[in-house]
Amino acid sequence: MNVVTRGIKNAARSPLKSGAIVLMFAISIALILSMLVARGSVLSKIDEVKATAGTSVTIQPAGIMGTMGGGDPLTSEQVSKITETEHVSSVSATLTDQLGTDDTDLESSLELGSFGQRQQRFETSSNTPTAPGSDTEVATEMADRPAPTPRTTVTGTTDANSVSTDGSDLSITSGAIIDGSSSELVALIGSDLAEKNSLAVGDTFTAYGSTITVKGIYETGNAFQDSGVIMPLATVQSLTEQEGAVNTVTATIDSSDNVTATVAALKTSLGDDADITSDIERATSSVESLQSIADLAFAGVIGASIAGAIIILLSMIMVVRERRREIGVIKAIGGTNGTVTAQFTIEGLALTITGAVLGLILGVIVSGPMTTSLVSSSDTTTATTQTQGRRSPGGMGGFGGAVQGGVSQINTNLTQVTASLTPQVFLSAMGITLLIAILGSAIPAWLTARIRPAEVLRSE
Amino acid sequence: MLTVQNVTKTFSTPGGQVNALKDISFTVKTGEFVSIIGKSGSGKSTLLSILGALDNPTSGTITIDDASVTELSGAQQTKYRASKIGFVFQQYNLIPNLTALENVMLALEFGGYPATSRKDRAIQLLDSVGIEADQQLRRPTRLSGGQQQRVSIARALANSPSFILADEPTGNLDSATGKKIFDLLHDLSRSEKTTVIVVTHDLEIAGKTDKTFTLRDGKITTK
Repeated sequence: MNVVTRGIKNAARSPLKSGAIVLMFAISIALILSMLVARGSVLSKIDEVKATAGTSVTIQPAGIMGTMGGGDPLTSEQVSKITETEHVSSVSATLTDQLGTDDTDLESSLELGSFGQRQQRFETSSNTPTAPGSDTEVATEMADRPAPTPRTTVTGTTDANSVSTDGSDLSITSGAIIDGSSSELVALIGSDLAEKNSLAVGDTFTAYGSTITVKGIYETGNAFQDSGVIMPLATVQSLTEQEGAVNTVTATIDSSDNVTATVAALKTSLGDDADITSDIERATSSVESLQSIADLAFAGVIGASIAGAIIILLSMIMVVRERRREIGVIKAIGGTNGTVTAQFTIEGLALTITGAVLGLILGVIVSGPMTTSLVSSSDTTTATTQTQGRRSPGGMGGFGGAVQGGVSQINTNLTQVTASLTPQVFLSAMGITLLIAILGSAIPAWLTARIRPAEVLRSE
Repeated sequence: MLTVQNVTKTFSTPGGQVNALKDISFTVKTGEFVSIIGKSGSGKSTLLSILGALDNPTSGTITIDDASVTELSGAQQTKYRASKIGFVFQQYNLIPNLTALENVMLALEFGGYPATSRKDRAIQLLDSVGIEADQQLRRPTRLSGGQQQRVSIARALANSPSFILADEPTGNLDSATGKKIFDLLHDLSRSEKTTVIVVTHDLEIAGKTDKTFTLRDGKITTK
């Protein structure tokens, strides 16, 4: 019987004690693996969401969104600052305006409807001052108000494709796309607007007192967009007498890793003059709950590793202390420190390897349900919060809708976040286990080397 | 020839220095059967530990056939114990999860005995001390005290040592069994020409040995 056989035989010397040590260690290894799997799955999902979010940053003048709000548009100097910011790889700028019946001979293809009428309720054709609160004030206002008419949105842009609603290039049904960097009197017409005004490529229309040539007709499938006009940015700036003015800039960042830093840099350089939003920041905030799960899982890995190490540490200390006399006798009859150390190291390794194999098998089995459980509980919390927030005081309609929405969200996330046991995760678990095994085996080595046979036998 | 010269052993305790052995000198010829007697705490076990290279004296020298044991390094002392010394303990000190046969084979392994013939040698040794074949495959807990001590003696003899150091070998045995064990050691010292040094407080046993040393308060006298 050599030292290896003796070490392994000793590991099974007390089945109950060894079994308890192996089981405790196996549970900690299973936890390590499960937490690594959960963390890997969640981080992978976060990366996926961030990758899908893209790297574009939208900069709008403070207080302005499209043709709504109030304030000053961005200037050409501010656009230059954006363009020159580090990591900004490209920029597209847009100036939006609305064409009323006085500005153009085009007839809007949009129906005004009750919504459009409400938006125009404040406008009057007369600026005649009226004494506030007088009896004639309301009557005069009503009489002076013109019949409301729908307006046509004109978009001046450096990149006509940026008007596309699905992120792809604009679909041109006839003619050709315009050059956004030019200042020619040309336009792309939405398919609904072209149909309403019987316009084809090469036809002209009037806007801001100038004759504009239709270079192409586009179709997005969006009724609002297909009722609009797209022209080069410089053309719109010139026609509306807003030289250098821009009300939306879309900056593309060179890498998703640089988006946060670039947004911070833009906020610093533009100050309070602009509102800056990025898809990736929105995505990041939406996956914050997943990030907290990843952090929790990482803490779990550390905790389970420490627990595993302590289990082996205390067990081996206990084993060595119990067998001090035996170690003394082995040394007395000629066993070297190396022989005794090897025997106890092999014993420790036999226990840790058995526990590790059992733990890894257990971990593979439980990691899937555990990851699902972690994500599920997080989503349930979110759903509950949403439910409470949306509940209408008058009835169950809002409550039912919120629950349905929450359950739907859970199902979506459960489908997306699946427990994935990748080779990297498995290797990480193996690495941690090996580290614990070495640590657990080094302790008996150190302890046995310190035992002096004369002292042990003297206490007889 | 074993020569012990001016050996002193001092222990540091919380109560101060304790002189366990005080300037001890004696010689033992090869093949002699020697007993060391003395009251509890007289330093018998300490002397045996130093003779067996389990401990170093504070001062003095121990020489075996012109080689100084006290000048050996730690590794050399281990080798010396494995090849030159056989220990027999009062508590037997067999490894509990090994069979009688495996206990003897363990000593043979440490002594560098060839692996292929260890089992045969162990069986032969156990046969010679009266352990039967079925008892050889039992663990110590399934053997009587006398049988365990016989296995312990077989283990001590494994590597044909120059010395057998026995610390109260009959202390845990009834008188009949104790006599048998003593006779076994006596016969071995004669047949194998092995020097046997027995620590005991049994004056009857001591009276049957070739030479008896008496330890009193760390000092030795010869009878």
